[in-house]
Amino acid sequence: MKVLVAVKRVLDYNVKARVKADKSGIELANVKMSMNPFDEIAVEEALRIKEAGNAEEVIAVSIGPSQSQETIRTALAMGADRGILIETEEELQPLVIAKLLKHVVEKESPGLVIVGKQAIDDDSNQTGQMLSAMTGWAQATFASKVEFEGDALKVTREVDSGLESIKVAMPAVITTDLRLNEPRYAKLPNIMKAKKKPLETIPVADTGVTTTTGLSVVEVNEPEQRQAGVIVSDVSELVDKLKNEAKVI
Amino acid sequence: MSTLILAEHEGGALRPATLNVVAAATQIGNDVTLLVAGSGSDAVAQAASSLAGVTKVLHADDAAYENELAENLADLVMTIANDYEHILFAATASGKNVMPRVAAMLDVPGISDITEVQSADTFVRPIYAGNAMATVKSSDARKVITVRTTSFEAGAETGGSASVETLAATAASEKVSFIGQELSQSDRPELTSARVVVSGGRGMQDGENFKMLDEIAEKLNAAVGASRAAVDAGFVPNEYQVGQTGKVVAPDLYIAVGISGAIQHLAGMKDSKVIAAINKDEEAPIFQVADYGLVADLFDALPELSKGLDG
Amino acid sequence: MSYTAPVRDIEFMLNKVVGLDEVAALPGFEEATPDLVAAILEESGKFTAEVLAPLNRVGDEQGSSWSEDGVTTPEGWKDAYQQFCENGWGALSFEPEYGGQGLPMCVSAAVQEMWHSSNMSFGLCPLLTQGAVDALHHHASDEMKERYVAKMVEGTWTGTMNLTEPQAGTDLASIRTRAEPDGDHYRISGQKIYITYGEHDLSENIIHLVLARLPDAPEGVKGISLFVVPKFLVNDDGSLGERNDVKCVSIEHKLGIHASPTCVMSYGDNDGAIGYLVGQENHGLMYMFTMMNQARHAVGVEGYAIAAGAYQKALAYAKDRKQGKTLLGTSEDDQGIINHPDVRRLLMTMRSGVDAMRGLALECAASFDKAAKHPDADKRDYYQRRGELLTPMVKGWSTEFGVELCSMGVQVHGGMGFVEETGAAQYYRDARITTIYEGTTAIQANDLIGRKTARDGGQGMKELTTEIRATVGELEKSNRAELQVMAKRLGDAVEALEDTTDWLLKQDNAALPAAGSVEYVMMSGRTVGGWMMARTALAATASSEDPKYSDAQITLARFFAEHELPKVGSGKQIVTEGGESTISIDVAML
Repeated sequence: MKVLVAVKRVLDYNVKARVKADKSGIELANVKMSMNPFDEIAVEEALRIKEAGNAEEVIAVSIGPSQSQETIRTALAMGADRGILIETEEELQPLVIAKLLKHVVEKESPGLVIVGKQAIDDDSNQTGQMLSAMTGWAQATFASKVEFEGDALKVTREVDSGLESIKVAMPAVITTDLRLNEPRYAKLPNIMKAKKKPLETIPVADTGVTTTTGLSVVEVNEPEQRQAGVIVSDVSELVDKLKNEAKVI
Repeated sequence: MSTLILAEHEGGALRPATLNVVAAATQIGNDVTLLVAGSGSDAVAQAASSLAGVTKVLHADDAAYENELAENLADLVMTIANDYEHILFAATASGKNVMPRVAAMLDVPGISDITEVQSADTFVRPIYAGNAMATVKSSDARKVITVRTTSFEAGAETGGSASVETLAATAASEKVSFIGQELSQSDRPELTSARVVVSGGRGMQDGENFKMLDEIAEKLNAAVGASRAAVDAGFVPNEYQVGQTGKVVAPDLYIAVGISGAIQHLAGMKDSKVIAAINKDEEAPIFQVADYGLVADLFDALPELSKGLDG
Repeated sequence: MSYTAPVRDIEFMLNKVVGLDEVAALPGFEEATPDLVAAILEESGKFTAEVLAPLNRVGDEQGSSWSEDGVTTPEGWKDAYQQFCENGWGALSFEPEYGGQGLPMCVSAAVQEMWHSSNMSFGLCPLLTQGAVDALHHHASDEMKERYVAKMVEGTWTGTMNLTEPQAGTDLASIRTRAEPDGDHYRISGQKIYITYGEHDLSENIIHLVLARLPDAPEGVKGISLFVVPKFLVNDDGSLGERNDVKCVSIEHKLGIHASPTCVMSYGDNDGAIGYLVGQENHGLMYMFTMMNQARHAVGVEGYAIAAGAYQKALAYAKDRKQGKTLLGTSEDDQGIINHPDVRRLLMTMRSGVDAMRGLALECAASFDKAAKHPDADKRDYYQRRGELLTPMVKGWSTEFGVELCSMGVQVHGGMGFVEETGAAQYYRDARITTIYEGTTAIQANDLIGRKTARDGGQGMKELTTEIRATVGELEKSNRAELQVMAKRLGDAVEALEDTTDWLLKQDNAALPAAGSVEYVMMSGRTVGGWMMARTALAATASSEDPKYSDAQITLARFFAEHELPKVGSGKQIVTEGGESTISIDVAML
């Protein structure tokens, strides 16, 4: 079985996003970019599945500009076997990403697709579900545990009131939650090997997928800033302020 | 044209989140239809029909809908989706699970987590953990949306008198089945709808110390939350997590204890009406958003606070 | 986060200034392409920031502790070391035949900077192992290499260097540890001190390299041999055998690097520790010298690495801390002490100083890389001379300046810097050892004026200053005012350095050059540092990728030219005129 993981190049987790002066988006020139943290978890899970003998090959797919190759190389350095880049300079929406992933799924026929539950840039939380709907494969989102049970999977999911578990037939689409695993660091020998692993680039135009949608960004603004309040001297003053000034207790 | 909302419910009652979604739908302006899908859910359908602003309730009752499986709910929505211009879900774990499927099947982009309705086709949604707000406009015939519940004041539970119509159930998916759940047991209000939230961070040092927060929560009828650091450290289960990748809350009072205030945490609570923070590090970023800050060791401050709330 | 690896600055220096492409073009280094090196630096940055940096404080506070049973490292260190080895970081520069990656020294130095910035006490363990592997690699028999090297490259076993004895520090001629022949091996007995990681719980075995004398050895440095003394004897099948007769009898209580156990090692308390001769008898000291340049370079890297850590801490504090109305703040909210001009000066000195020292160290490492692999024998000689010339500057200047910068880091924090809580003091304390071990600054100075300058009649220095003058010419051609300033300052500095070198070569009384030798190390270090910064500015001028970044590089280079290079001129005065007063006083009056 092949496992397909989708990895997205995003503004690094530790870098504060700054809105561009012309309000057209976020400043991404000359800032540190990294793999979306949820996608690192996806790669890790795929590798564990392979290491447990439940898969033969892990393929990392990214969709984005040519620099997304670095993100794929990161996945290859962690241990993925090969990479596919669908190259585009456009910022694509989850609907289009899901269609492009479907294109790869049709080509590669994996038994499992694992994607992050959301990307920390647009925070959409849509791609996995959309891919599942488009392929007709079972969907297991927000996974915090994945277990193989014959040709099905038992997936523990993080829901608002706790955890629930579902059984899904394969092939399936899984989206990862934070506590699914702790991604490994790439080993130096694997970083070196990653360079020689195959990485195929497909221009987005060759997929035949339309990349425009009816949804457009009008503008991007800074959020309203909350002002710092007062520092109180002790607990009794805090209780007093909450009771008599803010009147919230 | 009108707006369809997928109602959420559990234990025979609507989840509060649905009231917030109705409020968002009211702002969009069209007629509002509530879809209640469940198993043995007549009471929920009845309750739904009395919500202010709801003009019609569609009720589909079948075992397929018992456990909110996304495949089954999306299939059901698709049987009527073409009758609606807007299809709304709450931005809950359940709503987020279903919405993108519906959008994909309609071949339109999903619009996640809206915090503002500017017009029937223009919405505001947070991106980059709320570090930026994107205004997006849809030219599609159908707009499929999740609504950030904390951004819309809940609509009234009564005052409406919608008709209840039965909707034929769809077949259950054979690819997925529900096994079970481990829900956290708590007598406290639910985190996202509590009026007061008391949250602990890494500064709590271990799970045992969260009992000090429980004690205070008890006295304030508050829910207990946590930062990602506290959840990752295993102090409390994941459903306590407030933040970019956890729950978004906006209570009247949010008390942050031993939480430094990483941007990802602020993303989940900065819309709270009043924020109080207790931290021993006076440079902690949480103080930059707190209305009331107390620089103190939480192990001294919490017992005092607990006592102070008695008096 | 307490440490963020300056990946971008390191990459810029390596790619655009030092010229990684030239190194990668050499046979044997083909793999070291910029994209691979970028990936390595990125991952190393992640590992050091997330795994090593969080252990720096606990290492300082807990320290390593000694008991009869051995030395225990601080909480979390063992796991981190295991992860370090599993991820292959220790094997970066070693030969592939023993499991290494065969990467150039300039890449290895870039990675090692991150170890030491994030946690110098930790970084010392692999640093020492590397030294031991180098020694074995060059001088041990194949059989001995088979037995020890692969495990050391993996990190499963660590290495130590046992030179110093209570009566024999800088003067190794007086060592007394004895080695008695006993069949196919030797029995070693004696005491060694200041043995870094001589005993610890991080690895399965520890391979000690020990200098000792044979019973019939000639007096002095020509009678010293090098032995391998494993903590656990190694069986023919590679498994571990009996515990050898070597133990750590105590560890030192030190000013800094608390987590790095500095051991007193006792050999042969019972029937003599079993040791195996490395190479030939009585060649021990020579063997040590072949790896001396590498080891000294590594400590020079520590010197600026720790200053880089101190800089990050000071920068964060200065942005955050507000005291008084600043002259440079642009608004009410922009009143961090970083906007006081003198705090800026401190931070600019730290930042430009670290950049300059990094440039020097990477240039030196790249010279050794070319010396090792260049197809042209003349070029190999040229670069060997260059590497050897720069090494005492890397070790001497970068450690002394590093300590100074760490002290500035404390200064930026004011009173809070003197208080341990902020962590600024730890950098200062940890840094202080770097000017002492692997040869004090005076030893480096001796090496620079003697072995590296006088011995070749100043040839290596002449080649260097000729290249620096070529850069001055390039700066003069630029139409940017900042580069004109740099041309003037660098031109003055190189002239002062040449004058001083000429003066040194002419002296008959050895005491006068010796009296000024440390200042000579400083002035040559500063000049080469200024050269690297000037080349950085030229590279930045040529790069259109990110104008803000380029402008910052140019400003940093100009700052260095204006604040550090003028000291070269006064260095000339100190060296050429200040010797007499240094040595002429009646000691009884001191």
